[in-house]
Amino acid sequence: MMSITSNSPPLLTMTMAGAILPQLIIAFGITLALLLVAWKRSQRTIAVFSSLILFTALIANVSLLAMPTTQVTQLLKVDGYSRFAFSLILISALVALRMSHSFLKAHIEVHDEYYLLLLLLVLGAGVLVTSDHFASLFLGFELLSLSLVGLVGYHRESHYSVESAFKYLVLSATASSFMLLGIAFIYSVTGDMSFNATTASAIYHQQGLGMFFQLGLLLFVSGIAFKLSIAPFHFWTPDVYQGAPTPITMLMATISKVAMFVVLLKCIIAQRYWLHDSFQLFLMSFAVISMLLGNVMALKQQHLKRLLAYSSIAHMGYLLIVIIVSSAQSLAFTWQSALFYLAAYTLANLSIFIVIALIQQQNTRAAFQEDILLADLQGLFWRVPSYGLLMLLGLLSLAGIPLTMGFIGKFYILSQATIAHAWWLIATLIVASGISLAYYLPMIFKIFADAPSDTLSDTQKINGNVKALRGHIIEQVLVYSFIAFGLVFGILPEVINQLIAS
Amino acid sequence: MTVTLIMLALVIAGALAWRAETYWQGSAKWLALISLALLATVFAVFVIDYAINHNNDFAQLQVLSRVNWIQTFNIQYSIALDQLSIVLIALTWLLAIICVLVSWHEIKHHVGFYYFNLLLTIAGIIGVFVAVDMFLFFFFWEVMLLPMTAIIAIWGHEKRHFAALKFFIFTQVSSLLMLVAIIATGYFHLLQTGQLSFYYLDWLMLDIPLSMSQYLMLGFFIAFAVKLPSVPLHSWLPDAHTQAPTAGSVLLAGVLLKTGAYGLIRFVISLFPQASTQFAPIAATLAVVSILYGAKMAFAQQDFKRLVAYSSISHMGFVMLALFAFNSVAYQGAIVTMVAHGLSSAALFALAGMIYQRINSRDLADMGGFWQSAPRMGGFALAFAGAAFGLPGLANFIGEFFSLVGVFQVLPEFAVIAALGLIGSAIYGMVLFQSSFQGTPRQDIIDLQPRELIICGSLLLMLLAIGLYPRLLLKFSFGA
Repeated sequence: MMSITSNSPPLLTMTMAGAILPQLIIAFGITLALLLVAWKRSQRTIAVFSSLILFTALIANVSLLAMPTTQVTQLLKVDGYSRFAFSLILISALVALRMSHSFLKAHIEVHDEYYLLLLLLVLGAGVLVTSDHFASLFLGFELLSLSLVGLVGYHRESHYSVESAFKYLVLSATASSFMLLGIAFIYSVTGDMSFNATTASAIYHQQGLGMFFQLGLLLFVSGIAFKLSIAPFHFWTPDVYQGAPTPITMLMATISKVAMFVVLLKCIIAQRYWLHDSFQLFLMSFAVISMLLGNVMALKQQHLKRLLAYSSIAHMGYLLIVIIVSSAQSLAFTWQSALFYLAAYTLANLSIFIVIALIQQQNTRAAFQEDILLADLQGLFWRVPSYGLLMLLGLLSLAGIPLTMGFIGKFYILSQATIAHAWWLIATLIVASGISLAYYLPMIFKIFADAPSDTLSDTQKINGNVKALRGHIIEQVLVYSFIAFGLVFGILPEVINQLIAS
Repeated sequence: MTVTLIMLALVIAGALAWRAETYWQGSAKWLALISLALLATVFAVFVIDYAINHNNDFAQLQVLSRVNWIQTFNIQYSIALDQLSIVLIALTWLLAIICVLVSWHEIKHHVGFYYFNLLLTIAGIIGVFVAVDMFLFFFFWEVMLLPMTAIIAIWGHEKRHFAALKFFIFTQVSSLLMLVAIIATGYFHLLQTGQLSFYYLDWLMLDIPLSMSQYLMLGFFIAFAVKLPSVPLHSWLPDAHTQAPTAGSVLLAGVLLKTGAYGLIRFVISLFPQASTQFAPIAATLAVVSILYGAKMAFAQQDFKRLVAYSSISHMGFVMLALFAFNSVAYQGAIVTMVAHGLSSAALFALAGMIYQRINSRDLADMGGFWQSAPRMGGFALAFAGAAFGLPGLANFIGEFFSLVGVFQVLPEFAVIAALGLIGSAIYGMVLFQSSFQGTPRQDIIDLQPRELIICGSLLLMLLAIGLYPRLLLKFSFGA
């Protein structure tokens, strides 16, 4: 514990400020954006400004990747893992920003708040991935949740918006209070709020930890599990995924998952919770339920976003295996596996949601149509090959088929589980992935099926309306670059491995 | 290096064919055909050249290249060739060309993409036969699976989506078991030598205790038994074969099933000899059940392709039985059976495709008396049916005979029961021939066209050559 004495080191040195530079850039950007709103309300300006902020932060973050681990006050600790995770977050935010553009443009209103909330969300995630203290964890958690609530209900016209925003708000608030209570219980036993390992493990070794501590731990993990939509805390997921605007669903699937998982892993590794048998048992049951339930529930879904919600539940279940089986010797490998899997998962989800958002743009039926049915994918590959290919890569990656990053991610998880001899978890994973194929594959078949309205697209071609299907040039570039990322990282995963290992 | 380039060239040729078809209709099949013929020649020249230059008959694995791929897991891109893989790759080339020829008029929509998938499958299959890094092997194993599934799902018959789904799930789940076994063996290598390795030749040095190797062996065995296929993991095969387009069936029966047998030889038996010996009674029982069950089910089918599909289960049962006899005669018999079955079943599926094109049905009830209008086709059908039930003078006879002789020395009771399968195969072979070509003529069909004559003729020629001069294959030891 740091005590305040006359010649204590300064609270924030330049190195520390340098380490959290990306987060500072975002925070500063938010203030500037507020001023910008006061000065001139223009959709275009604020969009360009926000993407500029995110881009600068991304550059700062990438250039800092090689920097050594830095403790920034008691609250934050920046290491290579958190930087990598933050890069993922920033990239997702940039993509989401771009994909939001066209649906926000449909209004006459100017949506400054949307961009502000998005930046706040990124800041929250940035705090989360670097936090080294329960207080900063809670700060980041709330910042992330509250801005997401605002974003989920952003479409006032959509008939889902109130329902999904309220559902998210109420359950999210419940989850935070659970978590807060859990933190309080843990604090009451350890007397320390930081993730610092010494106190907790010292007490653990002296007297063992009582019921109170275990209860606190359970409450704390349930709070985070809610955010990660791990069964049995997943009930909000399908409704909110379906009801939220597509770019926001994209953010929920990527940023929120990455940030929460990284902080969970950080906390668990620092506090050595994985040593507790009962804790392992909790997590193991969560993982098994998530893997099976997520995949089984996804089987009969007709709404694409609902289906992806259930598949995300299953994927978080797979990812939990990494935590369960980690041992003191293989902590670095645990980090690598988790981060690689998260990177693969993020890339796949971004790919899929880009396509969904683009399809939505072209659906002229209703401007704010939130529902994308599986039937809308029919013949996508023949109508717009690049979208079809991107969707295909995303789905294959989620299904964990070679040629994609998802497979290497699964390889990491299976390696971890094999080293730990967690055969039951492996068996569940195999069964669950078998089930998951039964919905991923029909989706792929749909993409390759004959287009339902071949005649229609022919007439469109004659009318020269093909352009309308193609979308904006930036979106084109996004689609092609994600196809390239998917293929390159899938075949040469060593690129990412090196980034994580450093 | 050359082999790598050949695989790469296949993918590129596929992509080119895909693009070209959008500009010039009908160019994709020519491009596919020419590139296949060309690359097959390059491969043959390379093998002969290598054999002469290095004064080597490929009796042992010849490592061709070894490059770092994924350093984190010490995974290398390493490929090698030996007699077994060369024979199977040669079979692949032949059937690949046959596949292009049988699809000539059959595929009418998304033609370019079809040939892309076909060439990609072939690249994957060749990869499976040459990979000696287990991770790479798994990679190719899946690469060949994906386009194959696409071929079934896009260009198949009525229930194609269901069949493709079943095919994919069976293969994928079982191959995940294999993946776990691969990882476990890799980490066992780490425990024993201090270095993680997925290199096949490293694994051969490993001394794995039986208590562990029996589980590892099982992981591999299940994956290959699904591919082979063996009862009780066969149920994907009749659906996949029936619903696939003709070329898909030809490729599935001709080569994809052989990858299962190849895996059994190269990995299950070589890596875990002790565990396999222990497991042999169970495997042999499964094999015998497959032989009899396949023959029985084939006899009961009304669908031409489904009948041939069940007969495949029966024939591949012979291969598995022979492999688990651990006897060099049986081993050679297994290899001849693999090649022979690849040729004969491919021929029967090609015939089924030709009949389907003419009468738009696979139902035997719709056929009958075709001999009247198409005697040449009837002659070939009789010959191929004869090959399928092991008529002396054709390759299958040699294979099955050697298998049974070898098995008899080790497991006589199994050989006796398995021999009953030959009677079964004579029955279903005759049922097949009689109900389609004999009896009262239902309708008149056009006899074989020159293109179809080439297909049937070349396959029959190969069957006859091996059948009459088996030393063509038997002079190689195949590393036994």
